[in-house]
Amino acid sequence: MHATSTKQFQVKQPIEKVWAFLSDLKKVASCLPGAQITEAIDDRTYKGTITVKVGPITSQFNGEVKIERLDNQIHEIELLGKGQDPRGSGGATMKMVGKLRSLTEGRTEVTGTTEITVTGRLAQFGSRMMDDVSNHVFEQFTRSFQAKLAQENGTGSEVAFAPTPQPVNALPLVLSVTGKVIGRFFGRILGKSTSS
Amino acid sequence: MATEIQGMGHSVKRKEDPRFIQGKGNYVDDVKLPGMLYLDIVRSPYAHAKIKKIDTSKATAIPGVLAVVTGEMLKQYNLHWMPTLMSDTQMVLPVEKVMYQSQEVAGVIATDRYIAADGAAAVEVEYEPLPVVVDPKKALELGAPILRTDKKDKKDNLIFHWEVGNKAATETAFKEADVTVKQDMYLPRIHVCSIETCGCVASFDKISGKLTVWMTTQAPHAIRTVFALVAGHVGLSEQKIQIISPDIGGGFGGKVPVYPGYVIAVAASVLIGKPVKWIEDRMENIQADSFARDYHITAEIAAKKDGTMQALRIKTIADHGYADAAANPSKFPAGLFSIATGSYDFKTAFAEVDGVYTNKPPGGIAYRCSFRVTEAVHTIERMVDVLAHDLKMDPAELRMKNFIPANKFPYKSALGWEYDSGNYEAALQKAKVIIGYDALRKEQAEKRKKGELMGIGISSFTEIVGAGPSHTFDILGIKMFDSCEIRIHPTGKAVARFGTKSQGQGHETTYAQIVAEELGIPVDDIQVEEGDTDTAPYGLGTYASRSTPTAGAAGAMASRKIRDKAKKIAAYLLECSEADLVWERGKFYVQGAPQKAKTIQEIAFAAYTNHPQGMEAGLEAVSYYDPPNLTFPFGSYICVVDIDRGTGEVKVRRFVAVDDCGNIINPMIVEGQIHGGLTMGLAPALYEAINYDEEGNIQGGSFMDYLLPTAVETPKWETDKTCTPSPHHPLGAKGVGESATVGAPPAIVNAVVDALAHLGVRHIDIPMTPWKVWQILKEKGVAAER
Repeated sequence: MHATSTKQFQVKQPIEKVWAFLSDLKKVASCLPGAQITEAIDDRTYKGTITVKVGPITSQFNGEVKIERLDNQIHEIELLGKGQDPRGSGGATMKMVGKLRSLTEGRTEVTGTTEITVTGRLAQFGSRMMDDVSNHVFEQFTRSFQAKLAQENGTGSEVAFAPTPQPVNALPLVLSVTGKVIGRFFGRILGKSTSS
Repeated sequence: MATEIQGMGHSVKRKEDPRFIQGKGNYVDDVKLPGMLYLDIVRSPYAHAKIKKIDTSKATAIPGVLAVVTGEMLKQYNLHWMPTLMSDTQMVLPVEKVMYQSQEVAGVIATDRYIAADGAAAVEVEYEPLPVVVDPKKALELGAPILRTDKKDKKDNLIFHWEVGNKAATETAFKEADVTVKQDMYLPRIHVCSIETCGCVASFDKISGKLTVWMTTQAPHAIRTVFALVAGHVGLSEQKIQIISPDIGGGFGGKVPVYPGYVIAVAASVLIGKPVKWIEDRMENIQADSFARDYHITAEIAAKKDGTMQALRIKTIADHGYADAAANPSKFPAGLFSIATGSYDFKTAFAEVDGVYTNKPPGGIAYRCSFRVTEAVHTIERMVDVLAHDLKMDPAELRMKNFIPANKFPYKSALGWEYDSGNYEAALQKAKVIIGYDALRKEQAEKRKKGELMGIGISSFTEIVGAGPSHTFDILGIKMFDSCEIRIHPTGKAVARFGTKSQGQGHETTYAQIVAEELGIPVDDIQVEEGDTDTAPYGLGTYASRSTPTAGAAGAMASRKIRDKAKKIAAYLLECSEADLVWERGKFYVQGAPQKAKTIQEIAFAAYTNHPQGMEAGLEAVSYYDPPNLTFPFGSYICVVDIDRGTGEVKVRRFVAVDDCGNIINPMIVEGQIHGGLTMGLAPALYEAINYDEEGNIQGGSFMDYLLPTAVETPKWETDKTCTPSPHHPLGAKGVGESATVGAPPAIVNAVVDALAHLGVRHIDIPMTPWKVWQILKEKGVAAER
């Protein structure tokens, strides 16, 4: 299963401060729900784990993430990650490009492009949910990123975040998606019956 | 008396049903032996990957886990690879690399089924992913990764190239034709999904050296021979192997192959000396067991302007997964695909098939069809409609024009088969009358004016079943005869044993009816047994609609041998010449003196108590029946569909099935088989497909994604029949269990395409899901807006 997505958000920090945070892999990883850096192999390569729970499947990927490219001039970072669940649920590879752009009033725009390839049980079951799960992950990441960045720069945290890694849990998400679908369905029936 | 005998043509209630409907069947999972251990299997998440390390330490540390079987362990006994029925090889457990997602990687043996599952989850395997080849067309391209690196000289992914027919004559016919039509079509991977998944209980007795395996197999004798050939070097010889196929919850071709799980269980039992049970779960069954179809077909017809079909040309790529694990007769790598000229009088034809390796589960089994006959019938029945579309002819009229005339049988087809008997016009005519074809066409024209989408589809299929004559048909060299052994007991009751194995077909009833018909012994007095290699005569098993054409015929022939001996005994008892005796079902009487008679029961008693001097006592016979030809059942199906313009949903409004399987043994069972077969034909037409993404991840590996029709989706089937007996079968019967599965899908596709034909739609690949149909409606601008 192959998924590509580009997301954007803004933070109320100047570009240099955001860049200092974004180019520090350990800090970035701490914003990713379920992720943990366990070992530094060199200053650009780290070992780590990420736990993802989609419906009934919990996968813990052990892997490596490497800074493939770090451009201080244009504020761009490219990460390559690959991981495998030793208990056989599968593996994943990820390429992520993070890019910063300075905006007015000391704000910075963060653009993240990810290409994820998933193999194994997650890709079998999860395919219809993966988009929603990745959106959910990204939302948590964004909140955590902003909060930590703010905290680090002494401007206080707006959002509480979990101090220990929590696995991504897609179940509440499924329920909310199902709720939306059911809502749409009834909305349509009611809409029809009133218009006819 | 005659009604009690209940021979051919009686709708005798099935003898096996009292135990099935009361939950008293004895399936493999019902077998429980003292000290039995359980196997669960570690499976690969990758479609193609090197195995770098298998760490079993965490698994074996779990209390209750006794052993983890790996490829390295089996390699010590040279059991890590095994032959397939197509003389290819497949892994039991991998040593170097895995070749498809869900492939067996290791087996965990534990004292409890749940502990075995925990153990399987604790085995840690390190993989190095390799490039995955999913598309068979790309697999054939130059530079594609070579998958079977285990085969030293293999330089590509081609398994076989097979062709049949007259290439030159076909090319000439196409050059000279008024009209030619061409269509690509794809029959996706599907799975049999029988109610019972696969499994076995392997029990090796270290004292006697005997291995007993209760196993979900359609062909117990063939399996015994394969086991003896594969494991002979570790001391398993054929007389010490007993394969028992108990009650089977549906086979449909999926229980012909030998799966690695069976072999791991056997190996574990032999090593540990205790019984080992392995039962697949549903996802393992769908994801790893042999699939069916997966044919990429390009077909062409050359015809005259008036619609007379002249020549047929077909090129096919067959995706076999990583091993050719089909179960075809040896000389037929593409099965009986050469039945593709169907019911039509083609002057010439040419077909070729390329078998290809990909990173998918191995297989290519005949899912409720006689070896690729479904693929062949789909091709020709679709192509006739494509030609009708282009010529703007009525598809029924085009069929009538091109049918092999009833007076031309036996008929030699352009691809080499001798059709035994047929009357195709009669079947289609009957179906047209029942469904009211002409009125439906008028209704369709009216509906089109109103923008409503309604279609009528026909399939006038011809099958080829009952493999097969020994001059042409074998599996791994074993000829495809089948057998029956009958013993008449002193009190006139009988036991009849067969080399086949029922998986729900009702053999205990229909075979008893055959013997009853031939010997006049009531059905209730005949015990039918199958599936135990220690007692049943050798046979190749039940698949490809071969039971009635082969073992059923053997039952008739063995009965006739018994009747011949009975006649001698009767002559002795009645003190007359054999020539003076007349057989009337159940007794011999003296010609001209019907009161001087001996019943078969009296004769049986005499065979043990008062047999003529010089004659051997007893009354029994064996027949190994080698059929002179296959049988060619046929039928015409007409389907009416309505399409919901809002959702794209196809609703089957009516479906009329007129079948002809020659003389019928039990009409109720035949009707039941046709109902089941039609539903299994509806399934791939509208719902079922197993696809893979680019990484080889299975999409459709559980019932969440692989949709089986339930009673809710199934329309009312309207069945009828014509009767054209087989001239060579002793009972005039033909196989029927697969006709409907084969014949139904093109009727449904033709109906859906017909509903959209006026919009320029000429072909749709199956499954015709609402999403697929809705996209076409959208493209053609006829989807209803809400």
